[in-house]
Amino acid sequence: MPEPSRGLLLAGVGGQGVILASMIVADALVRAGYDVKQSEVHGMAQRGGSVFSHIRWGSNVDSPLVPTGSAEVLAAFEWAEAIRWVEYVRDGGAVVADIRTIVPPGSCTDTRSWVTRYPTIDTGLFTGRHLKTRLIDASATAADLGNARAANSVILGSVAAFLDIDDVHWEAAIASLVPQGTVEVNLAAFRAGRTVSDAAIPQAVPDPEGFSGPHQIEIRHDWCKGCDICSRFCPEFCLDVDIDGKLVVVNSDACTGCRLCEILCPDFAITIRPPLEPAVAAGSAEALRSDT
Amino acid sequence: MSDVKTYLREWAMPHVLCPGCAHGIVLRSFLESVDQLQLDRDKVAMVAGIGCSSRLIGYVDFCTLHGTHGRAPAFATGLKLARPELNVVVVTGDGDALAIGGNHLIHAARRNIDMTVLMLNNAIYGMTGGQAAPTTPEGAVASTTPRGNTEPNFDACKLLIGAGASHVARVLAVNPLEMTKIMADAMTHPGFSFIEVISDCPEYFGRYNKVGGGAEMLSWMAVRDEGITIPLASKKFVKTLPPSTPLPGMQTGVLHREIRPVYSGVRGGQ
Amino acid sequence: MSAAQLLQGNEACVKGALAAGCSFYGGYPITPSSEIAEQMVRLLPKHGGVFIQMEDEIASLASVIGASLAGSKAMTATSGPGFSLMQEHIGYATMTEVPCVIVNVMRGGPSTGLPTSPSQGDVMQARWGTHGDHPAIVLAPASVGEVFDLTVKAFNLAERFRTPVILLYDEVIGHTRESVVLPESVDVIDRTQPTVEPADFWPKDAAPAGVPPMPAFGDGYRFHVTGLIHDHRGFPTTDGDIAEALITRLHDKIEENLDEVTDVETFMMDDAELAIFAYGIVGRSAHEAVLRAREAGIKAGLVRPLTIWPFPAAEVAAAARQVDTMIVAEMNLGQLIGEVERVAAGETKIVSYLRVDGEPITPTVLLDLCVSGGGGSS
Repeated sequence: MPEPSRGLLLAGVGGQGVILASMIVADALVRAGYDVKQSEVHGMAQRGGSVFSHIRWGSNVDSPLVPTGSAEVLAAFEWAEAIRWVEYVRDGGAVVADIRTIVPPGSCTDTRSWVTRYPTIDTGLFTGRHLKTRLIDASATAADLGNARAANSVILGSVAAFLDIDDVHWEAAIASLVPQGTVEVNLAAFRAGRTVSDAAIPQAVPDPEGFSGPHQIEIRHDWCKGCDICSRFCPEFCLDVDIDGKLVVVNSDACTGCRLCEILCPDFAITIRPPLEPAVAAGSAEALRSDT
Repeated sequence: MSDVKTYLREWAMPHVLCPGCAHGIVLRSFLESVDQLQLDRDKVAMVAGIGCSSRLIGYVDFCTLHGTHGRAPAFATGLKLARPELNVVVVTGDGDALAIGGNHLIHAARRNIDMTVLMLNNAIYGMTGGQAAPTTPEGAVASTTPRGNTEPNFDACKLLIGAGASHVARVLAVNPLEMTKIMADAMTHPGFSFIEVISDCPEYFGRYNKVGGGAEMLSWMAVRDEGITIPLASKKFVKTLPPSTPLPGMQTGVLHREIRPVYSGVRGGQ
Repeated sequence: MSAAQLLQGNEACVKGALAAGCSFYGGYPITPSSEIAEQMVRLLPKHGGVFIQMEDEIASLASVIGASLAGSKAMTATSGPGFSLMQEHIGYATMTEVPCVIVNVMRGGPSTGLPTSPSQGDVMQARWGTHGDHPAIVLAPASVGEVFDLTVKAFNLAERFRTPVILLYDEVIGHTRESVVLPESVDVIDRTQPTVEPADFWPKDAAPAGVPPMPAFGDGYRFHVTGLIHDHRGFPTTDGDIAEALITRLHDKIEENLDEVTDVETFMMDDAELAIFAYGIVGRSAHEAVLRAREAGIKAGLVRPLTIWPFPAAEVAAAARQVDTMIVAEMNLGQLIGEVERVAAGETKIVSYLRVDGEPITPTVLLDLCVSGGGGSS
C-alpha cells in the first residue's frame, strides 16, 4: 500500500504567473523523484479572473486534483485568493499568502464611485484551524533584490520552507524555467523567500467609499406588470414574482446595486438607491465565495 | 446614471404595453442617451407611427407626435425642415417602418434628413393581434401564418444602407448599455440615422412560437448574439434557452457610417 | 392698389399663399396642379420659407402637418388621385387640429381619369373623403383673382379654426391666365398662442365650441399630439363622453361660427324668378348666362357659393323660396345638387345640368335652360 499522495495549491489571478510557478513546483518535485500530477484552471486570465493550479505528488499519483481540506500548502499570490482557497488546506497545514490586493471588476458595487466588496486583510480567518501562515509582501522583497517581477520566486521560497524538498531541485527547476537573464535574480528571490518574515499587515482603514451594505430596491407596484424580467436576470436572486404576479424583494441584503433590474425593467417600476447607512463592515470570506 | 423617470409623463403611466414587452427597455435606454447628451428637452421632438412601439412616445415629456401608420418619417421631415433646431427622433415598429411606411423611410434616408429613426423590431404586428410582418422569419407562426410564414423577410439594416442612410446600427433590447451608447452616437451624427432594435413580443410571437415570455426571449437574445459580450443572463437562466433562434447571423453594432451632405429642403440662400 | 398682372390660376394660388404667410410647401407633382409647386420652389425660399418635393401625396400632407406643428403656415397642392391619397392626413389634421391648406385642382376621374381636363368630381370627396365624422371647410374660387383671395382666406380659416382647409378648383381655373390686380396687403390671421405657463398648459383645453391655443414644437410647451380620441391633455382615451365631446367640438367650432366661413355670391337675385346654382368655373358660365337671359327678358339670377362646405343651407334655402326654378349645374354626375335638394325640397323646381365629358359647361347651354325654363335639361 503506497503512502497517500500529498497536495499543494497555487492560486492567483490572471497575469500573475501562477502557471509558470506551478510548473516550477512540479519540476522540482519530479527532480526530487516523485510521481507528480498537476492540473490548472485558467481562461479568465485577461479579465482578472481567478487562476489556480493543483499539484499532487507521491510514489504513485492517480488524480491531479487536491481534495478539499487536504492540501499541505496553499500558495496564494493575491490576498482574496488566499481566502477563496483556504478551505482546501488541511488542519495544521500552511498558507503562504501575498498581501497584494487585486480588486476584481466583479466586486464593484457602484460603477460611479468604484465601491467594491473586496475583503480587508485579516489573519483572524486562519486562527481557528491551527494553520501555519506566512503573509508576505513578495513584490517588496523582490524589488529590494532588484526586480519586482521575481516576486513569485519569493513566494516559492516561502512554500519551500514548508516542504521537504532539497533546494538543489528547486533551484534547478527555477533555472530551467524562468526567462533567460532573470535566473540570478529569481534564485536570489527564492532564497530570500525561504527566510522572509511576515510583512506588516496594513491596518484596515475605514473607507468612506467602501461597501456600505445592500442597496435599496424601490418598486412602483402601480407600474409593475409582474413580467418577471428583473427577477430572472438579477445576479443575486434578490427579487421574485409571487403567486399573485406581484414583484417582491426576497433577498434585500444581497443587492449590490448593479441596477440590472432597473435598466431591464420595461415598465420603469424599479429604482435602486444607494444604502442608507454609511460604510461599516467589509465583506467576509463567505460573501466572496457565494459570489463566484 | 441619472433617474430617467424625470423624462416621463408620470401622469400617463403605466404604459399600455404588455408584461414582458421589451419596448419599455428601449425607451429607457433612449432616455438615458438623451440624459447623457444633456439635450434641451424643449428641443426634443419624437414622432411615431402606429403600433405598439409608436405608443411609447406618449409617455415621454418632450414634444411628441403620434402620427399615422407608417408616415412618421414624413411628419418628421416637415418638422425638421420647418424647425431645424429640433432633435427629431422617430420611433417606429417593423410593420410601420418596413411595410406601410417603407417608402417614407427610404426617402428620408436617401435625402439624409438629420433625424434618428429607432425601429423596434418584434417580428410581428403586436397591436393588431400577432399577424405576420415583413420581418417575421420564414417558418415562424403568426396569426396570419398559422402553418408558418412562407415569405422571406427583410434585413432592415441592409435596406437602409442601400437607401442611403448615413448611420445604420442594430442593437439588442437585452443590451441597454450598448443601446444607450449607440443611440447617443446616432443622435449626434449629422444626417439620417437608423437603429434597428431587436425587441420582443412575448404576447404573440413568444406565445405562438413557444419561445417563452419576455424574460426568456430577452435571455435567448443575449446568448444568441455572439458579437457582444454582456454579463446579463444569469447562469440558471441560460440553461432554459430554446435551441433555435429566428435571428441567425444578425450583425449588431454600428454597421455603417458615413458623412455626406444633410438635406434641409429648398430654403433661402440656395 | 398694385398694377394689373397676367397670372395663371395656379400662380395666383402661390401668391395668395405667400401673402397669407405660407412658409412651408411639401408636395408631389401631378397634373394639373404642378405649376403651384414649380412656382413655390422659386418664390418660397425668397420669403424665408422651405420647399420640399416629397415621395408621394401621403408624405406631402404629412410633411405639411409636421411643419405646421413646428409653427409654419404650410400647404400642399394636388389633383384627384393625389387627393385620394391625402384623405388619411386630412382626417389626421382634423382630429389633431393642425392648420393646413390643401389645394385640389380637379381633373376628371375616377382613378387617373382625364388628367388634363377639368371636372368637379371631387366635391363629395372633399367633404367626406376621410373616414369618420368630421367637419370640412372647402372653398371654390371661380377666377384667377378669386384663387388669390380664397387662398388667403383658406390660410386664415385654417389658423382661426385649427383645421385643414381645402381649396377646390379645376383644371380650367388652374391654367387660365387672367389680368388681375392683387391687393398690396391682406388681412392675415395667426393661430392663437397660449397665455398660460408651460407647466399649466394642456394642448386641448378648450370651451365646448372653442379652438384651443396652439404653440409650436420647440417653443417650450411640451405636449402630445395624436389622431386617437384624446382628452384635454392630448392623451388617448376611450371614454365615450370625451369622444363625443371632442367630435362635437370639432364640428361646433366651425358650425357656430359660420358667419366667418360662409361666403355666397348672389347676382341679380333681387327680383329673380329663376336661379342658377353653380360654383367654380361653372359659376362664371352661369354669370354670363344670367346676363344674356336678362337681355332676353328672363328674370334670372345666380347663386354662387364660394364656400361649398359647410354647405350654405340658409342662403340656398332663401333663394329657393324666392324662385320658381333653380338650375343646378355641375361638372359631375350630381354631387352638390344633393345638398340643394335637401335644403330646397318643396320650395322650388330643381333642374340639373350635369356633365362629365371633360368639357366645361358653357354659358350657351345654361342660357338655353333658362329660356326653356329648365325643360330641356340633360
